[in-house]
Formats: sequence, C-alpha cells, structure tokens
Amino acid sequence: MYRYDQLDQTLIEQRVAQFRDQTARFLAGSLSEDEFRPLRLRNGLYIQRFAPMLRVSIPYGLLSSRQLRMLGHIARRYDRGFGHFTTRQNIQYNWPSLEQVPDILAELATVQMHAMQTSGNCIRNITCDHLAGVAPDELADPRPYCEIIRQWATLHPEFSYLPRKFKIAVTASPSDRAASEVHDVGVHLKRAADGALGFEILAGGGLGRTPIIGKVIREYLPQADLLAYLEAILRVYNRHGRRDNIHKARIKILLRALGVEEFRRQVEQEFAASREFAPRLAQREVDRMRGYFVPPPYESPLDDADAIDTSELSAAALASFKAWYRYNTRSHKVGGYRIVFVSLKRHGEAPGDMSAAQMEALADLADRYSFGMIRATHDQNLVLADVPQRSLRVLWQALEGLALSTPNIGTLTDMICCPGLDFCSLANAGSIPIAKQIQARFDDFDYLYDLGPIEIKMSGCMNACGHHHIGHIGILGVDKHGKEWYQITIGGSAAAPAALGQVIGPSVAKEAVADTIAKLLEVYLEERQDEDERFLDTVRRIGIEPFQERVYEIDHSAA
Amino acid sequence: MRSIIRRREIVRDQLRYGGEALEEGTVRVYTLADWLQAARVTPSPAAVLLGATDELEVLAAYLQPVRWIVIDFAKIGEGRGYSQARLLRQRYRYAFELRARGAIKRDQLFFLARCGFDAFDLDRGEDLSAALSAFDSFTVAYQDASEDLLAPRRRASADAQPPA
Repeated sequence: MYRYDQLDQTLIEQRVAQFRDQTARFLAGSLSEDEFRPLRLRNGLYIQRFAPMLRVSIPYGLLSSRQLRMLGHIARRYDRGFGHFTTRQNIQYNWPSLEQVPDILAELATVQMHAMQTSGNCIRNITCDHLAGVAPDELADPRPYCEIIRQWATLHPEFSYLPRKFKIAVTASPSDRAASEVHDVGVHLKRAADGALGFEILAGGGLGRTPIIGKVIREYLPQADLLAYLEAILRVYNRHGRRDNIHKARIKILLRALGVEEFRRQVEQEFAASREFAPRLAQREVDRMRGYFVPPPYESPLDDADAIDTSELSAAALASFKAWYRYNTRSHKVGGYRIVFVSLKRHGEAPGDMSAAQMEALADLADRYSFGMIRATHDQNLVLADVPQRSLRVLWQALEGLALSTPNIGTLTDMICCPGLDFCSLANAGSIPIAKQIQARFDDFDYLYDLGPIEIKMSGCMNACGHHHIGHIGILGVDKHGKEWYQITIGGSAAAPAALGQVIGPSVAKEAVADTIAKLLEVYLEERQDEDERFLDTVRRIGIEPFQERVYEIDHSAA
Repeated sequence: MRSIIRRREIVRDQLRYGGEALEEGTVRVYTLADWLQAARVTPSPAAVLLGATDELEVLAAYLQPVRWIVIDFAKIGEGRGYSQARLLRQRYRYAFELRARGAIKRDQLFFLARCGFDAFDLDRGEDLSAALSAFDSFTVAYQDASEDLLAPRRRASADAQPPA
C-alpha cells in the first residue's frame, strides 16, 4: 500500500487548515452559500436532506486496518454509528455537523486519509479493480498507476474548476471489474507488441441522465505519456466542455457533439503541442511506486487440497460454510490463498452500510488473517484479499458473528443501491426501502442460488449513483405527481463489454417493484437454455419482449 | 480607486476598462476584438482582456506588444482561464503581467498563481491583505508550476527512495 512521506502528509494537513478557515469564514458570514458551495463540495461535503453528508476518499478502494478503525471511530464519534460505502469505493457519513467537519478531516489526516476531490467539478477519486494484485487474470498490478494518477490529480491547479465532475477508472483485467467503460476516462493496462507496458485509453463514458459507453480514443499509449495524455484530454475538456447547462457539461456530451474522430484529433493535437511542458512519467517513478505494492509475504507453497478443517462443524454449519465458500470467496493467484468478500448486503440492512463495531472488528480480522489490508468494491462490499485457506473456517465463523457473512455475493440480493430519498436531497424516490422489499421477497437462498449470477442496481434519481443503467436489472426511482414510481431496465452490464439496459415499459408503483422483478425472473427461469445461461445472457438471446409481455400482461388483456 | 494584488503586493490598479476614464499613467484595456483591430496600427505597450470563450490562439499571433493580459472569470466556478493562463505562459512564452479578474477570491489564488497568474483583481468584497496569506496555503505540490512566483516543494522522484 502507498505510504505517505513528509510531502504527502504536509499537503493533507495544509488542506485541513485551509478548509477549517473556509468553514469558519462561511459560519462567520464572510463567504456566501454560493461561494462556499464549490469549496465544500471539493472537500466532499454536501448539505443533504437532514444534515451535511461527508464523503471520505478511499483511493482505489484500498484501506489498512488502521484506516478502517479510524473510519469506525469517525462513525462512532461524529455520526450515528454508521458509514455507507459507495459505488466509487468511497465512504459517506450522513450525520456529521458542519462545525465538526474540520475536526473529522484532522483525525483522518492522522491515518493518511482525506476527503479531497470526492465531490465538486474536479478530478474525483481514482477507482480501480478491487482484486488488483491478487486476480489471476490481470496483466500487471494497476495500483501503482492509480497512485501516480491520484497524486497528479490532487489539487491540480489547471483542472480544479472543470465544467463538471471527472471520474477516472483504471483496470488491468479483461473482465473490467472497475466499470471503466462508464467513466469519463478509462485507463486499461495493455502491452505493446514488443512487450512494453502502456495503456489503452477510453473517454466519454458515463451514466447520469445521458448514459454512454466510453470510446477508445488511443489504442496504445506508452507509459511515459500517461499524465501528458490525461492533461491533453482534460485541457480540451476544460476549454471546450459546455458550462451553460449542468446536464450537458460532462465530457461525454462534448465527445458526442464533436464525434469521436474530431475529439481524438483535438486531443492528439493538444498532446503533440504540449510535449515541451507536459509531465513525463519516468520509469524511476513507476519503479518507486511499484515498491509500495509488492505482494505481502505469502507462505508458500501452501497445500490447497486439505487446508480447510471443517471437522468441528455440524451438518447445518457445514452447509452454511460451503455456501459462503462458494459465493463469497474467489480463487487467488497464489496457491493456498483465497479472496474473501465481506458482504455488506445483509437482508434487512441498507446495502453498503456498516456499523462502527463491524468496522473495528473487521480491522482486527484483517490484521489476523489478511495482512492488515481491506478493499472496498464498487458494488459496495469489502474484500479481504489474501486469506490462507486454512484460516477460512475461523474467519467465516468470526464474520458470522459480525453479520458480515451473508452468502449472497453475485446473487440477486447483492444489490447496488444509492442512499435515495432517505438521505439525498437530489433523490426523487427511495432506494433503501426498495432494497429491503426485494431482500424480503427473495430471502430463500436456494432460489437465489438457482437464479445464478444476477446484478440489480438501483438509483433514486436519474443522476444514477446506483448505476441502474448497467444493472442486469436496473431500477430507477422517479417522481410522478409526488409519488414514488420505479422504471425498470434489463440487459445492462458493467463488465466488459459494458452495455446499457433497455427500459421495459411504464414505471411501476412502489409496492409492485418486487412483484415485477419476480415476473422477470419467472420468464428467465422458463426461457434459459440451461443453468449456465445467466439472466443477462437470456435477455441478450431472446430480447426484452418476452419480459415485457409478462410484466404488462394485465394491460394487454384489458386492451 | 481600485486596488489589486500584484506579485504578492497590494497596489493601485493602473488599468482602465471600457467606460472608465483614462487618467495620467493609466492604460486602456482592449477587448480581444478591439485589439485585433488596433494591433495592426499600435506598436506601443498594450493591455488586452480575454474572455473565457475568446480564442487564445487568435491573440497569440498579436502578442508581441502586449504587456498586460487580463483573463476574466465571469462566474464562480469558471475554470477556462486556468488553461488559458498555462498555455500563455508555457506554450506562447508570454512573460509579462497576467492578471485574473472577476468572481475569484483568496480560495482560488493558489491555483491561479500556480497556472502563471501574477496579478489578481479579486471580487469586490474580498479583503486583500487577508487574501495575501492564501499564497502560502500550501508549501508543497505534486505538479510542476508554470511560474516561479510560487515554488512549493515538489518531490524529486530522483531523490525519493522506494520504500524499504
């Protein structure tokens, strides 16, 4: 993991002091609300429905146990004992007081954390594959590049007042676990024919009210040019992106207006014209950064076959353990180790929520079983990435005791869900109550397992924090004459190749959402060719019409 | 009489915009459009106002007599001027006064200075002497500066050792 040196530490402490001064000036009346808004937003502070919301950055989702303990402490001391993990690997607190935010930031700075650029019209947290460094399918560890980009983007003087927010995701895996195709810029590690490591660059993806899949604008970019090329993209966007309409200000709209060819031409021209003064990424700097992301001291070789001792488990417990092993763990690139998902999707809880006690206890488990490291995923779970097989049983029992072992990763109830109307001042409709409705309706694990992998993603408004467009089933809350209604899409996908879901028809009433999903699932179970055909595959094969007919059958018969 | 910050000092403004009376020792500021006309006949030192949508590349061809460029920040959150400044300094090698004017306060000074601005005509309500301290908000930075007006310490990666 990256560790701050004196420069990094000085910078975040000075940022805390600056924000303390800005907050004091606002409270004293010398900054107006309009003047304070862009200042507080770029430090992650929203004024929400009931209280301020503070979004704390977790760069590319990576946390040490010490940092997770601090997040627990913040939840306990300044919030109501909870934090909410987001779809961009950050954490949000929904109940801090404005006056205390500078103190929270000062506490975070003691563990090398901050809230810089988690909101506002600037370069946001750099997100990454949550399995970076341990996934068997990756080309190289993308995290050194994430940290390089993070540092370059932090308080970048030229790109701190962009037309709109700007999100960058980095991945080195063909399966794209970072949803990079729906980011303003996607950076894909790639090898040239001669073996040199570089990047494929995508631009213009995004969700929100105009969902668009990003386009490849550079097939191969040499490593040394990474920051120079990002600056060229950002400069074209900063100068020419629309600023007259907040809904048309993302880079995707500029790219669509210019066309990908013209956009690429402008970026390449800017890139070529900036060679003299643009930053060059030295191999030495990459090597230095790689030094922070060396693999932990694995014991090897460990024996895969007989490492898990389940002899003490009752028959029922053994069945539970097996389900957890199957759904909540993944293979590791090092023999004898497993990747463990910590489910934040317990039925009855808001997806992504975690209590202070859970955070503190999980930090201890990470110290004991996974080299003291924890990762946040973009689908709102946590990961212990380096667990020896032989520790799995005791870890599972500990997670059971913490209510963090719900064996539902990748299943229907592993939903992505934004805070919605319960907290967010932008929302048109509730998300959490719908998540709970779905959890309650589909609480039979045998049924969930029979359905196979299926992703529900839900947003309480068209800003799409819950990524509904790229859910296999997407749910979008809309306001109809003051009532909460829900528009359903199917066929979306965050994984490569990314796809946007199609709307199946008129939105459905709040109380009918779970019933509607049940009908979609009925069609799937009837139509699938075999158990290996996922819901998404069936939708792709047969189209949305059979699903529409089932959901809206009453309308058909009435007509 | 308007005061501005120039090179970290509070000074009287000698520039005059359209509609303001020219006095002894003051300099008229041309809009870009006016300057493109005047530049053909005026070899003397001149000041030019650049709006956020004005084409920098057009001005670049007529930079030679220009001694003041004022970049206008019409609204809170306006950000195009940061790129304009950096290009003027680093691509077009403009070496004279580069001034930011408009809806800017001390909170933007550090970024502006790092992009190459060396003069600041801040929002009317801003306390200029209090604002001066904003240049020192940060003593470190991750990026190269385009001006040495502010030279916060950067990590020289040549000197930095990989972690043990």
